[in-house]
Amino acid sequence: MSSQQAETDDKVKAMNRPHATPATAQPPGRGVRLLVSALVILHVGAVFMGPFAMPPQTSELAATLATVYRPYVDVLSLANGYRYFAPEPGPSHLVRYELTFDDGATRTGSFPDRNVNKPRLLYHRYFMMSEFLNTLTEPDAPSPRRDAYVKSYADHLLHETNARSVKLFLVRHWIPRMDEIRAGRKLTDKILYEERPLGTFERGAS
Amino acid sequence: MSQIVRSVRAWSSDVLDAWNRFWFDSTDPATLAAIRICTGAMLLYTHVVWGLELTTFFGRDGWLSPEAVGRLQDGSYAWSYLWWFESPAALWTVHVAALVVFAMLTVGLFTRVVSVLAFIAAVAYVGRATGALFGLDQINVMLAMYLMIGPAGDAFSVDRWLKARRTRGPLPVRKSWSSNVAIRLIQLHMCVIYMFAGMGKLTGAAWWDGNAMWMAFGNLEYQSLDMTWMAEWPRAMNLMAHVTVYWELFYVALIWPRLTRPVMLLLAIPLHLGIAICLGMITFGLIMLVGNLAFVSPALVRAIFGLLPAGQGRGVAEAASTNPGLRPKSDRSASASSATTRRA
Repeated sequence: MSSQQAETDDKVKAMNRPHATPATAQPPGRGVRLLVSALVILHVGAVFMGPFAMPPQTSELAATLATVYRPYVDVLSLANGYRYFAPEPGPSHLVRYELTFDDGATRTGSFPDRNVNKPRLLYHRYFMMSEFLNTLTEPDAPSPRRDAYVKSYADHLLHETNARSVKLFLVRHWIPRMDEIRAGRKLTDKILYEERPLGTFERGAS
Repeated sequence: MSQIVRSVRAWSSDVLDAWNRFWFDSTDPATLAAIRICTGAMLLYTHVVWGLELTTFFGRDGWLSPEAVGRLQDGSYAWSYLWWFESPAALWTVHVAALVVFAMLTVGLFTRVVSVLAFIAAVAYVGRATGALFGLDQINVMLAMYLMIGPAGDAFSVDRWLKARRTRGPLPVRKSWSSNVAIRLIQLHMCVIYMFAGMGKLTGAAWWDGNAMWMAFGNLEYQSLDMTWMAEWPRAMNLMAHVTVYWELFYVALIWPRLTRPVMLLLAIPLHLGIAICLGMITFGLIMLVGNLAFVSPALVRAIFGLLPAGQGRGVAEAASTNPGLRPKSDRSASASSATTRRA
């Protein structure tokens, strides 16, 4: 018998061995089923609670229930709204900055910048940073959380460039209507941009 | 009165049976394994990209300072081990370790252990990078979480290949109820995601007047493919907006019946590929499709893997699935007991 034939026979035997048939597991016992069922109910409740209790639009009931679930939801990172492009896709936001150096020279930049932030996923990280600032921004309302992020961005720019000061702006880029596009308006039309200052920060200032 | 009691008892018994079937039927881990491969690869890519500017994002003087993120997370139980590592050397050490874990998860090496480590690592980055996150991170973490529960390495894995080498023969498909629990949890989580995505849109006028899709396509910062020519086709834009909302809203109901499941899954492809190609979120579009994979039956997954070049499916025994997923036509009449051993 050739070695090849023997190998083939071995394979056929192996395929015909009892263990080569599908192994259907026994269903779990009653105690395990009860325990797993309880855990599943707890977990699915938490999965639902994440978006259900997500501010800003939430009920008093949802907020109360959320406090019970909060440790579990936070630890497993389930506190997500999942409201993608909701309530509707809006204007996008960029951060523009003006750096001033010790010798008086200035430099400007903005993020996200698709020419600099590559690959696309990295660009999207920068895009989310500027968008995130907008979500924390309530016009004319004090927001320590927004201020902390603005300062964080400013400090990073000062640290990276060794500039003396930096001025930050939040740029809002509006989306033209379809009929405006048909009439010849470009997405980059200057009229679609508006910006407001976020603050000026000095190197070494606390 | 006794008739009422009997009816209630019968109904309760039916509910209990349905509950047990839904959660505790055994299923082939092929679908879970396919999700493992895709999720592992996505986690690996996501974190390779973090690595391009690791200290810029996670360093002491990075974009996201500990003070800013800490203030935002004040009072929450969000956590991250990355807070313990400030120096570039330490950060790089734990980052490379995470990349190794994600790579091992993808190929299925020591899957039981690395699936837990992968989840811990994924949550750690999310817990540290608040402010630079988006849907991709949410779905990455969600899928990593459920990969810990089921035997995700019991198919299409190095673990499996090594075991087959030791036993010198094809291994049986090892069905398990824990594999079913993991798949069911992904399915339910996907339903919750789409339900809230759809409900959230109901409060936006642009989803009702049909302009929302244009507002996405006409957003220069999202745009990765110039779709402004679609402004010439306003009714097509309206249709896409309406289909998106209705699809998301009804997903929770129509993804379960076998008659409508293929339609819902087929619609998911253009929806998420559209997001991927036109709105520059390739990673997000793809990972949402990976989540939808939970509704594809193990038999169909094995059939797809069977299309791979010879050798890649070697030693894999195929069995009909008890998981009510989308199945290949040839499989529908097969019973669980009529499994055949198949060699690629």
